[in-house]
Amino acid sequence: MRSLWLQVAAVTAINLKSIGQRRWLSLSTVIAIALVVIVLLAFLAMANGFQRTIAGSGADDIAIVLRAGSQAEINSTVSRDQVRLIEDGPGIARGGDGKPLISPELYLVVDGIKRSTRTKANLPLRGIGEQGTALRKDITITAGRMFNRGSNEVVVGKALLREFEGFDIGSTVSFGATRWNVVGVFEAGGSVFESEIWADLNVVQSLFNRNNVVQTVRARLTGPAALNELKSYSDNDPRLKLDVKSEAAYFAEQASQTSDLIQKLGWPLAIAMALGAVAGALNTMYSSVAARATEIATLRAIGFGGFPAFVGTLAESLLLAVIGGVLGAAATYLIFDGVTASTLGGNFTQVVFDFKLSPWLIAEGVALALIVGLIGGLFPALRAARLPIVEGLYAH
Amino acid sequence: MNDFDLVRKNLFRRKLRASLMIVSILIAFMIFGVLAGFYRAFTAGEDRAAADRMITVNKINFTQPMPIAYFNRVKTVEGVRQVTFANWFGGYYQDPKNFIMALAIEPNTYFDVYRSEFEVAPDQLQAFTRDRGSAVVGEKLARKWGWKIGDRIPLNSNIFSQKSGGHTWDLTIAGIVKGKAEHVDTNFMLFQYPYFDETRSFGKDTIGWMILQTTSPENNDRVAKAIDAMFANSTAETSTDTEKAFGKAFAAQFGNIALIVLLVVGAAFVTILMIVGNTMALSIRERTREIGVLKTLGFSGPRILTMVLGESVLLALLGGIPGLVIAALIAVALRNSLANVAPAFAVSPTIALQGLALMIALGLITGIIPALNAMRLKIATALGRG
Repeated sequence: MRSLWLQVAAVTAINLKSIGQRRWLSLSTVIAIALVVIVLLAFLAMANGFQRTIAGSGADDIAIVLRAGSQAEINSTVSRDQVRLIEDGPGIARGGDGKPLISPELYLVVDGIKRSTRTKANLPLRGIGEQGTALRKDITITAGRMFNRGSNEVVVGKALLREFEGFDIGSTVSFGATRWNVVGVFEAGGSVFESEIWADLNVVQSLFNRNNVVQTVRARLTGPAALNELKSYSDNDPRLKLDVKSEAAYFAEQASQTSDLIQKLGWPLAIAMALGAVAGALNTMYSSVAARATEIATLRAIGFGGFPAFVGTLAESLLLAVIGGVLGAAATYLIFDGVTASTLGGNFTQVVFDFKLSPWLIAEGVALALIVGLIGGLFPALRAARLPIVEGLYAH
Repeated sequence: MNDFDLVRKNLFRRKLRASLMIVSILIAFMIFGVLAGFYRAFTAGEDRAAADRMITVNKINFTQPMPIAYFNRVKTVEGVRQVTFANWFGGYYQDPKNFIMALAIEPNTYFDVYRSEFEVAPDQLQAFTRDRGSAVVGEKLARKWGWKIGDRIPLNSNIFSQKSGGHTWDLTIAGIVKGKAEHVDTNFMLFQYPYFDETRSFGKDTIGWMILQTTSPENNDRVAKAIDAMFANSTAETSTDTEKAFGKAFAAQFGNIALIVLLVVGAAFVTILMIVGNTMALSIRERTREIGVLKTLGFSGPRILTMVLGESVLLALLGGIPGLVIAALIAVALRNSLANVAPAFAVSPTIALQGLALMIALGLITGIIPALNAMRLKIATALGRG
């Protein structure tokens, strides 16, 4: 038994040392596998970054109330009377002054210019109620100040400022005939809110002629369990019949559609490319076996078994795959990790997000590389193991 | 035996190696075909936009409404041949997941402005304009749900509600809209704006956007300026642009699709180029002695160059053409499920031609170094080697 492993070790060492003789062929396999991994990981990092930005935006103890069937904030309408009924609903937390902690909100789409492409893009302008900031975690004004209620002042999210032109503090932006002053920049813990513009609800309502309606109501619940109370309250009152969801559930739904699409595009592409890389790896390994035919036959003639030849060839293939996988992952990390992108989200407005690699994704990429190496090495390894000695000795 | 036979026999001397290379090339061109088809579908709106058509939207953003009174005022602008308007409805059928691209339109002018794209039988169009509660549906959508003329369809809105409180409009199908060309998407439902406006609970007397046709594309600029100036400093300022520019700006919002396509196709190509190039070099090296023999027999250097290049180009074509065919089949299979995102998803003749050009380029690039080496080979060296 021990001698078998010694044989395996010896043949593997010979194989690996001889890679240099086939450096161009081996290098092309390594690069092919690295490219496959880069494409896969770039897509997965994009889906992951998008998912994190949106799914990280919601809280369990915040309820979001929308018109039944509307699915996204932009489509929803909630009347002033309905807002009052929700205020009196069960399960809603109250502040020190006894007032319910709710924020009726109006969500409008306005135009902005994207810095990188200088094209028009849909940006969200959110009119928030008095409790608007208190209902979101980690809201901090990082520059300037909060808008004053009743004035046409806005604060903008950090991500929006970075990606779109003309929102620096002190500048004036005009949406239609009205002009707004940018007075502050806020951070929101990397959530989707950082892609928004916020203003006072009442001002937005009057300047956009939407006096009697809002789109959504956000409410702080006494606890995550209170959601069901509020839900059945809405279901049982014919004047309401609204969709009540936890904010976390709402954002999870929003995130899943787009990131699903990205993943559904990424995996098939990566697999198709991986098949190409397998063909390349097979080529390399068959050539490797052919080039070493005499050597393998000689080893067999002096008493080495077929198994060491098999392992040696497979090890060479796997080593090339691992190098390719690691190179690909490293390149993806250097090129794509942290790259900012934006796309249309579920609300028909731009969501700014960063590409984000995770250890788990890197593991997926390296695993794909190993599969390519395994398949690419298996058949040539079998050939090496079965090579008839006499034929091998006369190979040249 | 002519040169082509030699090329063919050389290529398939090692069947397994040749098949593997063909498979990698096939996959590269499959990826190319699918991505290029997808990209074309994505930007199709831009390409087929009529040069004399313009879109007027609210300056704040195209999702903001503007007063219906604008319609009559725009009609009078010099250089405007015809105007129509539409309003987004946010439609779905039975379940919010069954999204339907539904618009409330101005029934008398809409099909005039879009006459180069859509066709409705005259009697059906007449029935539609006469009956306020009727709708016309695109051929594709009608086929999807098995709808026929005379069917009553409950159309839900995820935005609007009726004055009576419901969210459903019952519409009778008066006609089927056919596309006049293959690439025209007919996955929509159109119904009368007057009926919609009268029954909705909010937003009365506002419209989503106007589509106008100018008397000539040369007037586009002047017309756009005249319209936007007319509504400057009003509560709803407008922004007028060509249909093409509008479509382009909209597509850009999804992110840089073109760059992604380029990256992936590029990566796939570099991969294949390396694999094929290396293998070609290897197989020519193996044949050094033979090339020496051919030269001894009187084959000229250029003739050998052509033969080696012919071999690599043949290889590229053998892999590439089936790859494009598979891409075309994938496009057909996916067309329905991608109807909302990329309605005109197909591997077009242009893409096929581009693909062919790429195949030849791939063949020439991978073959050129081994071919030059073979051409320059000295007989003595060749026969002395190996």
